[in-house]
Amino acid sequence: MIPAVYFDGRSTRATPVTVWREDSVLHWHTGDRAQYWQAPLQAFEPSARVIGLPYALRLADGAYLQIDHDLLPDDWFARHHRLERVVDWLERKWPAAMAGVVIIVAALLGLFEFGVPWAADRIASHLPATLEHSMGTQSLAALEGRLLMPTTLQPEKQAHYQAVFQHFVHGIHGLPDVRLRFYTAPAIGANAFAMPDGSVVFTDALIKELPDDQAFTAVLAHELGHQAHHHLLREVLRSSGVFIVAGMLMGDVTSLGGVTAGVPMFLINAHYSRGFEADADSYAFDALAQQGIDPVAFSHAMQALERAHPEIKGEDKSMRYAASHPMTAERIAHADAASRAFQARHPTSRATGVH
Amino acid sequence: MLLSLPGGEATRGIQAMHDETMASGVYLPEIDVAPPALPVSKGRRLEFRGNARDYFRIWIVNVALSLVTLGIYSAWATVRTRRYMYANTVLAGTPFEYLAKPIPILKGRLLTALIFATYVLGGQFFKPAQVAAALVIAVFMPWMIVKSLMFRARYSSWRGLRFYFTDDYGGAYKWYFGVYFLMGIPLLGFSLASLAGHPGFGAVLLCGGIAVIAPWIKGHQQEWMVENHHFGGKSFKFSAQVSDYYRVYIKTAGVALAWLLPTAMLLGGVFFAFKSQMTVQPKTPPLLAIAAIYACMAPFYLGAWAFVHTQMTNLLYNNAHLGSYRFRSTLGYWEMFGIYLSNGLAVLCTIGLAMPWARIRLARYRADHVEILGAGDLDDFVRDAFAHGEIGAAATEMDSLLGIDIGL
Repeated sequence: MIPAVYFDGRSTRATPVTVWREDSVLHWHTGDRAQYWQAPLQAFEPSARVIGLPYALRLADGAYLQIDHDLLPDDWFARHHRLERVVDWLERKWPAAMAGVVIIVAALLGLFEFGVPWAADRIASHLPATLEHSMGTQSLAALEGRLLMPTTLQPEKQAHYQAVFQHFVHGIHGLPDVRLRFYTAPAIGANAFAMPDGSVVFTDALIKELPDDQAFTAVLAHELGHQAHHHLLREVLRSSGVFIVAGMLMGDVTSLGGVTAGVPMFLINAHYSRGFEADADSYAFDALAQQGIDPVAFSHAMQALERAHPEIKGEDKSMRYAASHPMTAERIAHADAASRAFQARHPTSRATGVH
Repeated sequence: MLLSLPGGEATRGIQAMHDETMASGVYLPEIDVAPPALPVSKGRRLEFRGNARDYFRIWIVNVALSLVTLGIYSAWATVRTRRYMYANTVLAGTPFEYLAKPIPILKGRLLTALIFATYVLGGQFFKPAQVAAALVIAVFMPWMIVKSLMFRARYSSWRGLRFYFTDDYGGAYKWYFGVYFLMGIPLLGFSLASLAGHPGFGAVLLCGGIAVIAPWIKGHQQEWMVENHHFGGKSFKFSAQVSDYYRVYIKTAGVALAWLLPTAMLLGGVFFAFKSQMTVQPKTPPLLAIAAIYACMAPFYLGAWAFVHTQMTNLLYNNAHLGSYRFRSTLGYWEMFGIYLSNGLAVLCTIGLAMPWARIRLARYRADHVEILGAGDLDDFVRDAFAHGEIGAAATEMDSLLGIDIGL
């Protein structure tokens, strides 16, 4: 005999009743026994178990019996909601909650460290090249005339660098279709970047800062690394993936405003970006060494860049995790290490030069 | 009831906390004919029985399961966490119930993810596709609002009776689409005045026009939303005047101004403190300075938002009724501000772990400050004649995603 409240599904009248079970039939009546009902057990649809919540045993016509959380005998509906029974069991355990915290942290790390990059790279490798190309022309067209102004380099100088470019690119296998472009870009300063359509853009300011052709080639090799590994397309796909995943997570799991979501998203994207830069650096060291150029040229180029942008000199270490590029000192150290390896493999290069 | 704030609020762009939709968005029933034998009017408070300890475990286990199943389980998680909030909101001894099933929610969520992904990726590869998608979403917005409200009403119940929201698409297009074209009038005035060489006058025209139109729109939107809700065979009625909305917005402007003064002083202090570093590196201000600026701005924003939110909620409940029954909402500004501020800080400092605690205390405060006034004993509602067919969850999923991420 279990106390319950009966609702007939046709009105909001609450009727206190007593319920009991006889074999596979539930019976219930009011305290004064003036009203009496019964229904077979399998006609009921019980609600799933949740801590503290009363059960609702529903009948098809909308009527239901409400039974307090602790009063429903376990064996009445033992075969219902099997999955949620397990979940409910977990929800009652503090160790499960603590494990939940660890699992959430691990799952988020795994998702953004491996899951999103993996999925984005898979998609990138299956996208037609024309799509990547149109993405590049679209963004270049958007920049031209706003940030990127026509170059002021002398035609002879342009022709010289085009020749160096052609010579260097010729020696590398497996590159997509690439071309070199010059622009004046006061807002960007001395810099070079790669566009998804195969364009490698050098600003006039950078050309003026670079000490020699080898430094130019070193920067070029870095940008070609971006091209060879389709970094731009992959970066776009990854950051879109982060946005999509974070959007779905926030819409579901949490409810903080956009600003708070923006910070971790920015950090994750900067993390991917640093990975690509390091990747392009090592591609550049290999490509330079392969064509007989000492990777120390990369160090020289970085130092020239530092001179052109004095503000990066005193890089704030606390900004390390927000930076889109690895720290300059680190990159120079890597270039120097590559240079030592190169010299170890080419001990006679200097001697042959003398002959 | 009316307060199905959930959908409406989110879509109206207030970056409302999603959680509110759970506890306080619960629908209150209404009463119609009071028995003549009981002339004395009595108030019934909502009661919230949930506690943060239980809810934390439920929440964390469900979030963890959702993540390890790559989101598939999230539909079940949503149902369980919402059920906890609904069923712990008690009126006259009987809890509310959340009756939605996980599978339709999962379908709606997958569809939403697909649309969202198409939109984001479309923007990267083909801008016109994104513009077209945004236009389509804007055109479908009122339809989605209706569907979303229908879903929430359909799966909210009390004492075995479900709520119902009328499928009034015409009204939705009128009040959530058509009226926004009125905003074009002050914009036109601004353009004309600027062309005539009086941009200052144009700006006054623009701001004045918007100040006149916006409260009027808001009032009609709330009226539309309330009056399309039904419970127990009766329809909700709404008695607020447009002038009430003007009053709320004028007061809000005053509150915002009052907040502006200390905020400006704090910002000045921050600027002064970091002045030396700013001049050295004008393009890259130190991280600390950015954080300090945000910290100064947050109370200002929250102070104004909490005010308008509290006032609107009170206005909505206090003017909703049917027959002899009314609602009374007595949310206090400083209490709500304090709850939002401490909730926000707690959630930030615990990287989200305090979320369940924050939701519970907000739900408890809100439930404690809503009353139903009337002489009846809430027994005399009867099943209505509406066809309570199943409602798809896609619109409501889309609605919560957009409300939070795109802030339409």
